[in-house]
Order: sequence, then C-alpha cells, then structure tokens
Amino acid sequence: MKKSIKKLMVLMLSVVMVIALAACGGGSSDGGSSGGGAGDGTSITLFNSKNEIQEDFENLAKVYEEQTGVHVEVYYSQDTVAAHLATKYASKAPYTINMVDAKDVYSLGKQYGADMSDCAWVGDTDYAITVDGKVLGFPTCIECRGILYNSAAIKAALGEDFDPASIKTLDDFKALLDKLVAAGMATPTAVLGPDWSLAAHYLQQVYEEREDPEAFVQALYKGEADLINDPKFNALMDTFDVLKEYNMFKAQGSNAEDELVHQAMSEGKDAFQFGGCWEWNDLLTYDYNGPVGIMPVPQNVQDDYTGKLVGGGSKYFYVDASEYTSEADQAAGKAFLDWLATSDEGKTFVSDTCGMVSPFKSNTVPCTNDIGKAVKEYVDAGMTVPNYDYDPDDHYSKLGIEMKKYLDSACTREELAAAIEAYWSSTTPVEH
Amino acid sequence: MTQNEKAAAAKKRNHVIMMIVLVLLFLFFIMPFLLVLINVFKDKADIVTSPLALIGAHGFTLKNFPEAMAKMDFFNVFKNSLIITITSTILTILVSAMTSFVIVRNGKWKMCSAVFALMVASMVIPFQVLMVPLVSVYGGIFGILNSRITLIFMHVGFSVSMATFMFHGAIHTNIPLELEEAALIDGCTRWQTFWKIVFPLLKPTIATVAIIDAMAFWNDYLLPSLVLTNKAIYTIPIATQQFYGTYSTDIGLVMAALVLAMLPILILYLFLQKYIVAGVTSGAVKG
Amino acid sequence: MKRNTLSYKVRQYLMFGGVGTALFCAVVIVPFIYGIYLTFTSWDGVSPHKPFVGLANYAAAFADHDYWLAMGRTVIYSVFAVVLINVLAFAMAYLVTSGVKGQNFFRAGFFIPNLIGGIVLGYVWKFVFNRAFVAIGTALAGGEQVPSLLASPKGAMFCLILASVWQYAGYMMLIYVAGFMSVSDSLKEAAMIDGCTPAQAMRNVTIPLMRSSFVQCIFLSITRCFVVYDVNLSLTKGDPYGQSIMAAMHVYNTAFTYKNYDMGQAEALILFVVCAVIGITQVMVGKKGEVEA
Repeated sequence: MKKSIKKLMVLMLSVVMVIALAACGGGSSDGGSSGGGAGDGTSITLFNSKNEIQEDFENLAKVYEEQTGVHVEVYYSQDTVAAHLATKYASKAPYTINMVDAKDVYSLGKQYGADMSDCAWVGDTDYAITVDGKVLGFPTCIECRGILYNSAAIKAALGEDFDPASIKTLDDFKALLDKLVAAGMATPTAVLGPDWSLAAHYLQQVYEEREDPEAFVQALYKGEADLINDPKFNALMDTFDVLKEYNMFKAQGSNAEDELVHQAMSEGKDAFQFGGCWEWNDLLTYDYNGPVGIMPVPQNVQDDYTGKLVGGGSKYFYVDASEYTSEADQAAGKAFLDWLATSDEGKTFVSDTCGMVSPFKSNTVPCTNDIGKAVKEYVDAGMTVPNYDYDPDDHYSKLGIEMKKYLDSACTREELAAAIEAYWSSTTPVEH
Repeated sequence: MTQNEKAAAAKKRNHVIMMIVLVLLFLFFIMPFLLVLINVFKDKADIVTSPLALIGAHGFTLKNFPEAMAKMDFFNVFKNSLIITITSTILTILVSAMTSFVIVRNGKWKMCSAVFALMVASMVIPFQVLMVPLVSVYGGIFGILNSRITLIFMHVGFSVSMATFMFHGAIHTNIPLELEEAALIDGCTRWQTFWKIVFPLLKPTIATVAIIDAMAFWNDYLLPSLVLTNKAIYTIPIATQQFYGTYSTDIGLVMAALVLAMLPILILYLFLQKYIVAGVTSGAVKG
Repeated sequence: MKRNTLSYKVRQYLMFGGVGTALFCAVVIVPFIYGIYLTFTSWDGVSPHKPFVGLANYAAAFADHDYWLAMGRTVIYSVFAVVLINVLAFAMAYLVTSGVKGQNFFRAGFFIPNLIGGIVLGYVWKFVFNRAFVAIGTALAGGEQVPSLLASPKGAMFCLILASVWQYAGYMMLIYVAGFMSVSDSLKEAAMIDGCTPAQAMRNVTIPLMRSSFVQCIFLSITRCFVVYDVNLSLTKGDPYGQSIMAAMHVYNTAFTYKNYDMGQAEALILFVVCAVIGITQVMVGKKGEVEA
C-alpha cells in the first residue's frame, strides 16, 4: 500500500516537473513578439487585415523564410483594426509590420511608424503615404468600390450581352432589374451585411463623391450638414433602396452571411451586388460562373462623380518603430516590404496569387482578377474618385449599426440621417 | 383485471410515454452535434445551399479536416491545452489539499479561519470584476502576460478556493484524527503524515476536483484570451474563436474546426463517462 | 519544539498552505482590492499615472444608458433561462430516476453539452439557427425564404435562452438526480399508503425534501446566467445592432474595446454587487423553509 502511494506521488511529481519544464521552455522560446523563434534566424510578426488573403500570406511567409531565414508570423484579427492594434500597444507587444487602413497611417503610423524614405520601393509607386516628410505607408494594392455584376448570369437570363456602359442612371438600372425579374430571375441583387461594407464602403461614398469631402466632413463635425436634404446622400440611398428591394436575402437582411451573397454572385444566381475587387478570392471558392465585372454605382442625380469608381491605394503597411521593436527587427520588417514590392515572388503574390491590382509600376505580372482588371482600366483612364482617409476609428462600427437598421427597414431614411449627424457631431474631429 | 394488473398496465403505459419523452429530449440534445456532423463531410458550396442534405451535390469529402487542422495549427493548440490543463489541475490538487489540511487541523488558529472565510467569500466574485486589474497588474506592471506559465499560475489561483473548500469538507468528515496521531507517535513528521496517510485517503475528492477543474480549464475562454496573445501558445477555445473570425466565410472549414474542438473531450467522455458524471454530481452537491 | 508559539504556527501554515494562499491572494484578493482602487482613478490602460477622480467613474457608469439596457436584457434573459433550465432539469431528473430502461444512457447524453466550452457551443448553435433552421423554415414555407431567428433582437434573445437552457439543463439535472435519490422510497410509499396519489406524493413529500437541491440549482444558474459571456460572444456577438449585448459583454467592451478601463471596472463591480445581492437573497429565502430529511 505505502509503496504504491509513494510510486504515485513520484509519478505525479515527475509529471508536474516535466510539464512545467516543457511549459517553461515553450513559454520562453515563443513568448514575446520578437524573441528568437524558429532556429537561429530573426523572427518578426506581421498583422494582416485582409482576411481573404490570410492563407496566401502565410504561404508567402514560408517562402520568405526559406529564402532568407527570417521567420514571419502572420496574424489576423476580426476586431476593428485600430482597436486591435491599440490592444497590442497597451500590452506592450505590437506587431513588427502592420497592415492598416489609410486613416490609421495618419494616426498609428504617425505615432509609431518607421520612416521608409530610403527604401527601394518608394520611387516605384504613386500611392505611398507620406506624413511630415516621412514615408510611413507602404501601399499593398489599389482597390475600388462599385457595383459588381455577373455578365454570364445576365446573358443567360436575357439572351443578350450586357454592356455596363448602358447603365448610367438609377432608372436605367431599375429598368434592367425589372427585365431580369420578368425573365425569371426573381431577385437579381444581394446586399452584404457587415458594417465595413455598409458604412466604410457604401455610406463613405456620400462624403467622397463631392468637390470638397474635407469641408463636408468638417460641416458634419460641427453639426451643420443637412444630410436629409443633401442630393448626394439621397441619390446614393435611392440606389441602396433599389438594391434592397431586389435583394435575394431580404429575409435575412443584415444577418445574411457573406458567403451566401458571394456564392450567389459567383454562381450567377443573382446579377448585381455592391462590392469591390477584394471579393474576388471569395468568389473563386464556389462554382464560379463569370465573368464578374465592376461598374460605377448608378445614380439618378448626375454630376462629376457619377460614372466613376471610388477608390485608390488601399491597405497600407507601416513598420513599428516604437520602443518595443528592436532596430534589427525594424530593419527586418523593412527588408520584407522591399522584398514584397521588388522580388518576383512578391510581385507574383500580389498580382497573381491574390489577384490584387499592384500599386507598383514595375509590377507587370498580369492581374488574375476579373474585377481587378476592370478596376485597373478605370484607374488608368483616370475614372476614379479618391478615398477619404480620415474617418474616426469607430466610424464604421457605430454607423455600421445604423446602416444595418436601415437595411433591415428598422429605421427610416430621416432617422438614419439624424443618427449619422448625431454620430459626427458628438465625435472629436480627427487631426490630420 | 385485478387491481395489481391494472396498476402494472398503467405503469407500463407510463413507462412508454416517459420513454418517448426521453428519446425526444435526447434528440434535442444531440441535434446540434448531428447537424455539424452531417455537414463536416461536405463541400463548402453544398453546406451553403443544402445544410440538411446528408450528402451534397459535390459528394462526400474529407478535405475539410486536413485543411482546418493545418490552419488552426491543431496539434500545437491541442498540446498547449493539454499542458495547461494537466499542469493546472495537478497543481491545484496538490496545493489545495495541503492548504485545506493545515486549515482543518488548526481550525483554532485565527489565520486559518480568516483565510478559509476569505476563500469561501471569494467564490461569489465573478471573473469580470478581476479581469481589468489582472491585465493591468500582470500585463501593465509586471509585463508577464503571454506565457503559459502565467496562465497556469492564474488558473491555480482562481480554482484554489473552491478546491480547498471541497478538500476541507472531505478531511473534516472522512479522515479520522486518530490515524494521524498514530502516525505521529510512530515518528512521522506532519509532512510525512500528510502525504502518507491523509492524501491517499482523499482519492475520491481528488477525482472530483480533477474532473471539475480539468473541464473548466480545458474550456475556459475569457481568461486565456486576455493572457495569451501569441499564436504559438493558443489553447483550443482561443484557436477556435480566432479561426472562426478569420475563416467564417469558409463554412466547411468551420465545421471541421468545431468537430476538432469537440472531439478530444467527447472521446474522453466515452471512456470515463461514469466517473465524470459521478465526479460532477458529487462536486456539484458539495459545492 | 513548542507548538503554540507564533513562529511555529506561521511555519507550519506556510509549509502546507503557503503556496495556495499566495496564489489565491495574487490572483484573487490583490486584483480585487486593486480593482476597487482603480474605480476611483482615471486610467487609460497605458499611462503610468492614475489620477484620483473620486466617484466620477460610478457616476459615468450610472449614466451609461447602454449599460443599463444591457443589464435589463440580462435580467430578462436570466429570468427565462433560470426558470426553463430548472423546470427542464427537474423533469429530466424525474424521468431518469423513474426506472425506465437506459436511464444511465440518457443521463450521460443530457450531460454532453456541459463538456464543451461556451465558445464552441455558440458557434454550433449559430450554424443551427442561421443555416439549418432557415433551411427547414424555407422548405416549410414552400420555398420562400424565412429570416433567421438571429436576425431580430427578440429572436436573438430567444436563441441565447435556448442555447443556455440546452447547455446547463444536463448539469442541473445531475444535482436534481442526487436530490431524488436522497429522498427515501419508504417515505414516498408511506405517503401513498396514506392515500396520496403519486402527484400528491411528489408535491407534498419529494419536492419539500429536495428543497436544498432547488436552492443550489437556482443559485448556480442565476450566478452563471448573470455573467454569461462566451455564448453571447460566439452566438450573437451582440447583433443585431447591439441589441443582444449582455451586461458582461458590455463591461468587456467598455474596458477592452473602448479602452475605458476605469469605467469598465466600475461597471464590473456594480454587476458583481447586483449578482451577489440576488444570489444571496435567493439562498437565504430558500434556506429559511428548508426541511430536514
């Protein structure tokens, strides 16, 4: 009896010791963002905020490690970018390289970012972000927003080729939708439900498609803008109403899951959806029956901004230069970005693997993305409206809620306008 | 029909009704698992179009598993969960059994009763009250978050009060003082007495504490999510949550990830079902 | 060796209880006290300075409209969930102690949801509500799409309640099973011989004797429901439009998402007080009329 107990005790204690040691060893070797991880090489972290390319990015990091011995650990978070990175800074463990939205370069990048003025890629692009004379933002791609259409689906329904140029006004658009309905496609549109699509992409156009977006936003801050009587707001919301009216997932409203919408577009079960070139990778995961293209959002009030896509440089990297990232890691971060812009692997990754439109002139690898190709044509023809990059951090999560209500018909347009005005006038203006 | 026969017939009828109710309830309880299970072997496109079909248009597939395993780094997170759960459970048992021993056997010492009272009172504190100070003390002041050891240390700290309370009851009622006195007279020290006499007699309570705590540690999300931010040391619940956030558009992978997250504990349950149910019952009734 | 000197006592205590007490203090007591201190300061989570602000955080918490809305939702959710959990658990306990075939199998089966963490359970149910139920509903409606229950605020609340009942009923059932077993058959038989119907025996003999099981189950379910977080996060994430955010999630968001650590901590303490008052009141009321078996 006693012997067996002793044995048990010895066994238990040794298990504890072994496990504690294992935990110890493991903890110290992979704890901390910049500790020596794999092998003897440098190890840095990268935050990716484009979830559709997370897997491709992880694969790219493996290629990079094979070539250079530098380990790049790729992270993604479903939280809003600014909030997630703030958490990382609060816990004193920021990522080495951070993919953020342009607005974050002016805040986080300005505060923590390394100056990349002397990097090789800078002269090769028109889209880098420079703040106070320092190059802080590395552009990942060019992205534009508009109405996606599946021309194969339209052709199958109507029996004739679809010419996006024939749709100029909302009335044209509505006439076509009615034709599609008459031809048997009961619900020719779909609406994505997430806040980033509704607020950061669609609502955002209300600020962008005008002569002086900055002045309009300042008026919103001061509570002087009159949204409900604003022609642009009403024009865009009229179009939104039409997208809503013919919505395939009307019953689900803002709760419709993204993949339902993507599958419908990809397989040609519907014909139109508001979106952009980043949706390409998602479309490809279904039984793709395209081509899918992109056209400007049709509006009944024609002005200098209708007939153009909204967008430009998108998703910027900055390298962390705060006290938590060593000089060596900063250099490794910059080297990775150089490689991404200038190496063949990097160029192929951007244009071919991910099908993004490269912001770098020297990248001649053909873009594999049908939507991206269309975007590039608009960009080359100068038919784009630039992004407005200075939204407050909580803009899309807070106003996303209001847009969802509107999509679900849980509020009127007047209430939506009032909620948007109330949000802006109660928010501290973003300095830039 | 005699009175007895009538009663027997009524009893039989009752049993049939009860059986039907039980079977329906049982179906309700396993229905979500079944739905996940029939979809995990389907292509993403089929899950979206026909979540109820047994086999989708693209046929039966196993491809969701290897992909989900690779993407959530399954073996690594499984290993992390295992290390953290086993170490925390063993440490909790050792530390709490010892603490309760000194408290029970020296109940008259003021410090013992004070500590015990504090422990009992602390059991009503919800974790939400402690999360901000924990992050601010261990992250802000000491900067030791993001390590398995910190998490283990916190797991033990949180569960020590409940476990001590349970051991306290067991020692108090089940371990005769005479045994220990005899051992002391034989020349054993207190330390030896505890390990040789008391601890082995606590086996049933040890089993109960082990089952309850191990399940709590294995499934805990909020504390690990605040402590662990480095991918390499994620546990299963955190990896699942992160996975869902990243790949929620690939529902086939999500199904596989959910099955992977549930499978280990379900397999364990298949074998240890009797002990787990008994352990939880006695723990719940005592606690 | 003197056995009643202070140093002997302290040494003895530390030898056995030192590690446990130290860990307990480091993780529970110190943060608890420090947390109370934090509510009287203004702290952004980063700065080393924590200026004293008196009761400002409590004032802010009491003025936080969204917090009280979340608290109200939590109360509604808890009332429904606690009642349903206990009714179902009691009924199941009755069924699996009635002597039908395979009762151990059923006991084991009903317990399964407890093995799985709230995060995973939430995602499983999300799939069931958003996909499976929508597919069934659409088929029943003759092909016309029906909205998911999770798409409306009331529906989301219903889903949360259903998932919680499903999660906890099996666990509470085990406690009720132990209660049923502790009531001796001879007492029930005696009641029946005295002319009670089985239903009367249940109401007048078994249930009063199981009072402590009820007190315990209700206490456990109240304290768990009041701080529900994991299922809330994975099943609804607060959607639609933040209408299913429970108190614990609101506290988390205030502190960690919006970086108002000080105010979040004050809200957490209020949640604790509300929860403790309800729980303790319930136990006191319940114990008062307890029948000794």
